[in-house]
Amino acid sequence: MKRIACFAAVAVGGLFACLPAMAQDYSGHTLTVGTWGGDIERLLREHVAGPLEAETGAKVEFLLGGSGDRLSKMAAERNNPTMDVTFQNIYEAPLALKDGLVVAPDAAAVPNAADVWPGMNEGCYAMSLVGLGIAYSKSLFPEEPEWADLWQPQFRGMMAYAPYPSSEGDGMLAVAARVAGADEHDPDAAFAKLAELGAPKLTYSSLDEVLSLMDAGEIAAAPMISGYVISNLANYEGIGFVFPKDPGPVLVRDMVCQVANSPEPELAQMFIDLAIGIDTQTAYAKELNFGPTNSKVALTEAEAANVINTPEEVASLLQMDWPYVIEQRSAWTDRWNKEILGQ
Amino acid sequence: MKPQITGMLVAPAAALMFGVFVLPFLFLLVLSFWSQVPGSLGLDTSFTLANYVRIFGDSYYLGGLWTTLWLSGLVTLICLVLALPLSRWIVLRAGRAKGLIIGLSILPLVCGALLPTLGLVNLLSPLGFINGALKSMGVIQSSLPLLGNITGVTIGLVQAFLPLMILPLITTMERLSQDYEKAATSLGARPVVVWQRILLPLLLPGIVAGSLLVFCASLTAFVTPQVLGQGKVVTFASLAYQQAALVLDWPFASALAIVMLIFLTLAGVLGALVTRNFGRVA
Repeated sequence: MKRIACFAAVAVGGLFACLPAMAQDYSGHTLTVGTWGGDIERLLREHVAGPLEAETGAKVEFLLGGSGDRLSKMAAERNNPTMDVTFQNIYEAPLALKDGLVVAPDAAAVPNAADVWPGMNEGCYAMSLVGLGIAYSKSLFPEEPEWADLWQPQFRGMMAYAPYPSSEGDGMLAVAARVAGADEHDPDAAFAKLAELGAPKLTYSSLDEVLSLMDAGEIAAAPMISGYVISNLANYEGIGFVFPKDPGPVLVRDMVCQVANSPEPELAQMFIDLAIGIDTQTAYAKELNFGPTNSKVALTEAEAANVINTPEEVASLLQMDWPYVIEQRSAWTDRWNKEILGQ
Repeated sequence: MKPQITGMLVAPAAALMFGVFVLPFLFLLVLSFWSQVPGSLGLDTSFTLANYVRIFGDSYYLGGLWTTLWLSGLVTLICLVLALPLSRWIVLRAGRAKGLIIGLSILPLVCGALLPTLGLVNLLSPLGFINGALKSMGVIQSSLPLLGNITGVTIGLVQAFLPLMILPLITTMERLSQDYEKAATSLGARPVVVWQRILLPLLLPGIVAGSLLVFCASLTAFVTPQVLGQGKVVTFASLAYQQAALVLDWPFASALAIVMLIFLTLAGVLGALVTRNFGRVA
C-alpha cells in the first residue's frame, strides 16, 4: 500500500513537474493565435485549442490571414502586442527573432521542443516540413518531370506561380539558378534562366484556381508546396506531383512562434507545446501530408510515403540561404515584376 | 442654432475623423519619407526622397501609374455610357419596379468586392461559363483570354462600380423637369440634339459626381485587379499591397499610397472645376 502511495505521489509529482502551468486555472484569459485558415485552423482547433481550453479554462481565439499580415501586425504592435502565438514561414521566423518580435525557442519552457529534429528550431519552433516540388499536368508530361524538363520549348508561357515574394517564388529562383549552373547568390543567372520559361500563364490566388486549369491541360506545371497539393490530388485525376532529384525539392518549413511581450506567455508556451507534440504532428502528417518535426512521431510506411519526416530526407532537400534572400527582397521583387511578369 | 451647440454636435464626428483619418494620414506621409532597413523590419527614420525618386524615376512604376489612370478613365467612360440609358429607363419607365431595379443595380456595391469578383472568375476563366458556352456552340475552338488582362479587369471594375454612376444620375434625373425636353422636341429638335444640348448639360452635376466616384474607386481598387488581373495587370493599388504585405517595405508602400492620394485629390479638383464651369454656363 505504501509502495502504491509512493508511486502515486511520484506519478502526480512528475505530471506537475512536466506541466507546471497546466495545473493553473486560466479561466477568463484569452490566448490569441495568428494562423492560416482552412485545414490548418481546423486541425489546430481540434488538437491544440480544444485540449488547451479544456485543461486550463482559457479561451483560444484565432486570427486568420497570411503570414505577412501577421509579421506586419507584430511590428506595428511591437510595444503592446495583442497576439500571443503566430505561425510564420521559414524565412520570416529568423527575421522576426532578429528584430526582437518573437521569443527564442526554449526547451525548458516548451518541453516538446527537445523532441524536434536537431537544428530545425531556427528563430521559432519548427512546426511542419514540406518541400517545393512540381505539380504537373499528366496530359502534357507523360512521365514525372525533372526541373530541367520545364524548360522544354513547348511549355514556354504555360507555368503558374504563386504571388511574389513567396517561398514558392524564391524557391523557383533558386532552382532556376541551379539549372543554369549557379545558385541563388547569382540573381542574374537565376532571373535570366527563369525568364526563359516565359511570363506565367497565371499568378494564382487560390489552389483550386490553378489545379482546375492544370487538370484541363491549360497550365503545364507549377512549383508548389507538397502538402497542399498532395492533399488535393484525389480530386484531380489529371494532375501529378513529384519531388525532383536534380536539384532536390526546396525545403520549406512552417514555424510556430511565441510573440515577444505577449499578454499570455504561459498559455502561449502551452499552446506551442501541444502544437509540436506527437498528437498534432501526427494529425498534420496524416491529414495534410505535412511532415512532422517531432522526432518521436511514428508513421506507417503508407503515411510516410508523401511526407518529409526524417533528417535524412531533409538533408536531401535544397536548403536556401534565406538571410541572403531576405536582404535581396525588395530588389528581387522589382526584378520579378519586370523580368518575369512583365515579359 | 447657436455656434456652441453646432460645435458640440460636430465634435464627435470631427474627433473620429481626426483619430482614424487625419492622424494615420499624417503618419503615412511621414513614413513615406523614411526607408526600410534591408533584411530587417526596422525603419531608418532619417529623411529621404528615395521612395519618390524610385516611383518617378523607374519606368515600371510610372507604367503602373499610367495603366491605373487610363484604366480608371476607361472604366468611368464605360460606366457612364451604360448608366445613362439605364438610369433614364429606371426614372421614366420602370414604374412600380423602380425600387426593385435600383436595389438590384446597387447589389454589387453591397456584396463587397471579393464575392462578385470570384463569381466573375467562374464566368471568365478558360474553363468558365462564357468560354464553355462559346466552345459548345462551336463559335470558338480555344478559350478566349478574358482573365489576366485589361479586358477581365475592366469587366470586373465596371461590374463593381456601375452603381456608383447609376445612383447620382438617377438622383439628378429625378429632379429634372421633362418640360425642357418636351419644349425642345416641340421646337423640332431631334433626339440626338435634345441629348446634346438639353439633357447632358442639365445632367452634368450627376455625371461629374458619378464619374468622380467611379474614377476614384477604380484608381484605388485592389481586389478586382488583383484577382482578375492574375498578377499581369499592374495597378498602383496592387503594387502598394505587394510592397506593404509581401515585401514589407512600408515606407515605399506609403509613398505609393501618397502618390495615389495626390491623384485622387487632383481628380476631385478637376471635378469641382468642371461643375463650377458648368454652373456658369447653365
